[in-house]
Amino acid sequence: MTQVFDNHLLSCMVAIPFVAMPVLALVRGRAWVLRVALGATLLNVGLMARLWAGFDPASTGMQFVERMEWMPTFGIQYAVGVDGISLLMVLLTTLLPPLCVLCSWNSIATNLKAFLMLVLLVEGAMLVVFLAMDLFLFFMLWEVTMIPMYFMIVLWGGPGRVAAGLKFVLYSLTGSLLLLVGILGLHIEGGRSFDMQVLTQSTIPIDSQTWIFVALFLGFAIKLPMLPFHTWLPDAHSEAPTAGSVLLAGVLLKMGGYGFLRLCVPIFPGVAERFSPFILWLSVVAILYGGYMALAQSDLKKLVAYSSVSHMGFVTLGIFVFNSEGIQGAILQMFTHGVTTGALFLVVGQLYDRTHSRAIGDYGGLYQTMPRFVAFLSLFSVASFALPGTGNFIGEFLVLTGVSYVSIVMVVLAMGGIVLAAAYMLWTLQRVALGEPNTEAARHLSDINFKETVALVPLAIMVFVIGLYPRPLLNAMDTTVTELVQRIETRRVASPLVPVVDVERPTAAQR
Amino acid sequence: MSIYTLIPLLPLAASVVLALSGRRLEGKGHRIVVPAIAISFVLSVVALIEVATSGPIEVSLYRLLESGNFVVDVGLFIDPLTVLVLTLVTGVSAVIQVYASRYMIGDARHSRFFAVTALLTSAMSLLVMSRNLLMIYMMWEVMGLCSYLMISHYAARRSAYRAATKVFLVNSIADVGLGFGVILTFQTFGTLDIPQILASVEGADPARITLLSLLLFMGVVGKSAQMPFHVWLPLAMESPTPASALNYAVTIVNAGPFLLVRLSPLLVHSPTAMTVIATVGGATALFGAIVSTTQTDVKRSLAYSTISQIGFTVFLCGVGAFVAAIFHLLAHGLFKAFLFLSAGNVLASTHRFHADSSAGEESGRMRPLIAGTLVLSAIPPLIIFSKPYEQLWLSQGFTQASVAFWVVGLGTVFFTSICVFRAITTLFRHGPPDARGVADGEVRPTLFSPLHVAGVFVAASLALLVLLSVWTWFSGFLSPAVGQAAVTVPVPRSGLSFGFIIPFAVALAGWIFAYTHYRSGKPSLVERAAWARPAYVFFLNKGYFDEIYDVFVVRPTIVLALWLWRSVDTRGIDRRVVAAGAGTESTARWLWRTVDARGLDRLVVAAGTVTVGLARWLFRFLDVGGLDKTGDRLAHGVDTTGHAMQGLEPRTLQQNLLVMIFWLIAALGFFYWIA
Repeated sequence: MTQVFDNHLLSCMVAIPFVAMPVLALVRGRAWVLRVALGATLLNVGLMARLWAGFDPASTGMQFVERMEWMPTFGIQYAVGVDGISLLMVLLTTLLPPLCVLCSWNSIATNLKAFLMLVLLVEGAMLVVFLAMDLFLFFMLWEVTMIPMYFMIVLWGGPGRVAAGLKFVLYSLTGSLLLLVGILGLHIEGGRSFDMQVLTQSTIPIDSQTWIFVALFLGFAIKLPMLPFHTWLPDAHSEAPTAGSVLLAGVLLKMGGYGFLRLCVPIFPGVAERFSPFILWLSVVAILYGGYMALAQSDLKKLVAYSSVSHMGFVTLGIFVFNSEGIQGAILQMFTHGVTTGALFLVVGQLYDRTHSRAIGDYGGLYQTMPRFVAFLSLFSVASFALPGTGNFIGEFLVLTGVSYVSIVMVVLAMGGIVLAAAYMLWTLQRVALGEPNTEAARHLSDINFKETVALVPLAIMVFVIGLYPRPLLNAMDTTVTELVQRIETRRVASPLVPVVDVERPTAAQR
Repeated sequence: MSIYTLIPLLPLAASVVLALSGRRLEGKGHRIVVPAIAISFVLSVVALIEVATSGPIEVSLYRLLESGNFVVDVGLFIDPLTVLVLTLVTGVSAVIQVYASRYMIGDARHSRFFAVTALLTSAMSLLVMSRNLLMIYMMWEVMGLCSYLMISHYAARRSAYRAATKVFLVNSIADVGLGFGVILTFQTFGTLDIPQILASVEGADPARITLLSLLLFMGVVGKSAQMPFHVWLPLAMESPTPASALNYAVTIVNAGPFLLVRLSPLLVHSPTAMTVIATVGGATALFGAIVSTTQTDVKRSLAYSTISQIGFTVFLCGVGAFVAAIFHLLAHGLFKAFLFLSAGNVLASTHRFHADSSAGEESGRMRPLIAGTLVLSAIPPLIIFSKPYEQLWLSQGFTQASVAFWVVGLGTVFFTSICVFRAITTLFRHGPPDARGVADGEVRPTLFSPLHVAGVFVAASLALLVLLSVWTWFSGFLSPAVGQAAVTVPVPRSGLSFGFIIPFAVALAGWIFAYTHYRSGKPSLVERAAWARPAYVFFLNKGYFDEIYDVFVVRPTIVLALWLWRSVDTRGIDRRVVAAGAGTESTARWLWRTVDARGLDRLVVAAGTVTVGLARWLFRFLDVGGLDKTGDRLAHGVDTTGHAMQGLEPRTLQQNLLVMIFWLIAALGFFYWIA
């Protein structure tokens, strides 16, 4: 048995959610449904631990590779593998679903079984997206993530769920369409292959590089989302049920950033370099703009959603400076954003379960009735604006360090975004947790129970562990990122598109 | 691992234990925190002795970060500067915790108070011990958080929680400067290790050093409440009084001067930065001192006095008297902690915050206390104008600078002595808790009597005076750790010199002025002199800084955010584009009406009629059986979906689609354009 797990670890991880779905369909009773779903997701966490232990941070390239022919005529295969970048994303994808299952116990009143099946489907699909080494597989499961998400929003969401779900699907479909165009272009120009490793090594004609890059870039940018493609996000996040919001903000958005790192940057370093000033400035604007938007919100979930726009700005900022500080920071930022924003949605969801109100003005003075809740809310709020000692600080600081090689003005502006983040988070905290209750309902709330606490504790621990000892995570991706940066450097030198710009970097001797 | 690692770790552990224990340890927090901090204090003294005998200690702990060129090692660096501040921090913190263990009895958030103060002590000790700029920055921010938590202690009070948020935000704006400075330091030197940075200062670009110094100083301006960021410190007085004593006398505000002295070898390379620091510090010292005499709230008055004193410390850093700055910092820390704790006693027993309210009866112990006042108000001039200070100052060699020093120094001394006199006399005019407090049925614990507190601190002050008399040892001990602007360590001359008598006389003058002004029944200066009134009002309102910030910074930000959201995000990106979308829509409609309906349609009508006829026939023919119901259902379904989609607010499905398409075209066009 262990042999199977060892030899086909990734396939097992992928298979578990898909197998658990039909099993779940057969189970009766709310408690058993919950147990089975929790068991399946926790089993994946266990396999993840095995993967983490078996992962060799020092070796380059993909590990745990499994290949199978799928549609040989088109050169399509089932190929999965993991490297430093995807390892972190997979870690995030396996960690959040158990918590989603736990929180659904309270927040999902009807059809819990169907809901959990959708959660498992999303988990499985996202795992494949992060593990796929084949573009077709990648695209197919990329599409699959959208469907359960849509139903989660439309069937279990808030009052404006239909509009939000439709908006989500329209945006996602547009993105997917562009992605499909890009992938097909890549397939045709890159030597009729869907294998990412082959494509990365292949030389694509310069004329078509730009168009393919732009198509892929827009596809990922809508998912991330970048300004100005972000308007689907506040609606979708705020109308989705808690578990849906957690999965959306926690993992789904990261598919965009992962796409940049997996396809856009390594395959088209020259084009990426040419567009980078534009992208970087857009990111800076997104950071500030998202912050301002969050400041204007009176709806808790919308506020967290807009803060995601701001934080995702840091991700693109880090990726498109093409140095290892920036990229590592961006990956870490994706990870920690998944943890803290996921946690924030969980916390807000717990409040919503009690009062069915997302309006900030309906609360106040919660520290008296819900001290434990307020402790967690404060913790994740300060983590969200990257207080040192939390993981987000490490991510954002690395990104800023990376950006400082390129532009100092951007660093200052982005730091302004952190101040804005502190402003909207603390202001919210003040209005929700401190003072006197604004409504009668807020006066009689019960504190979070054991189950709810259990869902938050792992995230809280993670926030601190990454903040104080981020090296395991950084080590895991170090080799991959270094390789990526080197590839960008060499490609950039080789590519005639762009004159090589000397970037001021301290030498090893100075260090 | 060294034993000194325990100095920050013990309070941290105590804090974590308290935070996790929830209600189980409620009311018993001090039993964990006090021993932890006391042990830290003992260890600090051990460190002091070790450093004094065998030089600086370095402890490397672990590697925090490694990414590309960016490497950060967590380690401790314990040199004379560190141990002196560390001893102050842990020592005063221990005393304050003991005091608070009585003061906070009955408080609903007893554990929380001790958890936060322990965390703060831990952060401050780690800050002074860290050998890495990033660690300093991290601890700097953690202290900001502690400050936030302490100010929001009485969370039901509107003024308290609003102050908490405001204080944190003012600080975080200033911290942008510090954080940016840290990043730029890494860019310049390729490392954040402080000893390495200081070692490689010589070869660096002077303009860059000026920029760096000013950026780092911006963080100091925020954390140490220098102008124009000083507004937060008075607000911070919403915290429980022991916390005020800890935060705003010995820890948070002192982090600024500490950082300046720590980086003094860097600062001395930039005359511009030094001038800026001295100017800001001097201005703050005078402004704070004057405002402190006009405030009617005891704690607020003390806050402005703190601003003034820290301003003076910063001023000293700016003029290169780093050793003197640290000495001033230590002296002020003890002195101000005493005042705060005394204020806490009085406030707790009388529940009154206003210094100007009715005078109580003079009790028999007034006389020694007034004498004590004189001694305490004499300490600042003693320190500031002691011979070594003056010589350090004069060694800078500028006449104008010397004048500035005298003006700022004497002004500060004059107003400080007024403030101190006023604070102390008001505080101790009141006897035991008055009847009102008892009538409320509130059981207040016995606090330490003012004499106890006074005794402890007067003893500490005397120790400082002794330290002053061994000035040569002090400056010899500290000098290696600071920048070399402090050229030579002067040997103090014996006896009282002219330079000492003048400031002492000024302090006495301030004291007499305060005595006549506040003690006698005569009309006050404000009532007598016409010129004094506008000035008094100006300073009473703290120079209108709060109002200015509110009007020019706070409100515009929120208004801008709301405007951006309403007009740009919902209208601009959603609706304004809908206008463009509507343009597309009308084009489409036009196409449909003219081309499709008129042109093509008529052409097709002929064929259409035939087709329709055929279709009708087919329809009737096929319609007979079971298809009917299925069709009906389908049609109904389509209809409902359509209605549902049409009903989407605020936009219709078509508009949604059009918006999407518009954006795509715009984006593609843009990319095409820049490609």
